[in-house]
Amino acid sequence: MNEKLNTESVRQLLNRSSARIASPTLASLRAAREKALVRYDARSSVPAFAWATALVGSGNTAGPMRRHYYWASIILLAACLFSATNFMMHALEHDDSEVDVAILTDDLPIDVYVD
Amino acid sequence: MYMWINGICRYLIPFFAAALLSLPILAHAKQWAELTPVEQDALSPLSAEWGSLPEKRQQRLLKLAQHYPKLTPEKKERFHKRLVPWSKLTPEQHNRAREKYKAFNKVPPEKREEVKKMIHARETGGSVASAVPPAPAAH
Repeated sequence: MNEKLNTESVRQLLNRSSARIASPTLASLRAAREKALVRYDARSSVPAFAWATALVGSGNTAGPMRRHYYWASIILLAACLFSATNFMMHALEHDDSEVDVAILTDDLPIDVYVD
Repeated sequence: MYMWINGICRYLIPFFAAALLSLPILAHAKQWAELTPVEQDALSPLSAEWGSLPEKRQQRLLKLAQHYPKLTPEKKERFHKRLVPWSKLTPEQHNRAREKYKAFNKVPPEKREEVKKMIHARETGGSVASAVPPAPAAH
């Protein structure tokens, strides 16, 4: 049955008792609901690190795979933090190059400054 | 709104994660052939041993090389002459030398000139290591 259901007819149908709804209409309602649920799942079940989950196996995040996904995210976050901290420490290290160049090009030999 | 959040989660977070993870690669030690011509010119006395130098020391030397193009020919010559002995010093010796240099530069110019003359006079006679007064103790 290819009957199209609009929101008004759905509301009217829901207001009736289920016993009075004809079985083709019930089937149509069920099909519409399932279709809507499938669409909802497809939109809401793609997590931020879905690609990380893909690395450890399948796209299904239920059960043990959810734990893998969780640990993969934690490890990735830790790696990012370590990498960023390391780089920042390197970048913010005090720059003595001007003094070094001054010593290397001074008219006094470096032995004077070296113990 | 949902589309925006979804877009950020799906594309921006992985992008930033990849960028953060690649940061150490950017700071990684370079091979001699990877240096720019200016860096190679500045650090030429160290070309033979460049590969064996620790990564941190390479980074420090590359910072020195950035100043090289601004030097006068006379200073470039001194830079090249002193680079090898300088690179062989320990980090502690480098720190001590910096402290002594800074301390010496705080001395009034006329006294500094006097000391320089004294050092140049001694240069022909032997060691000059004790010519500059010691720097104040590091805290």
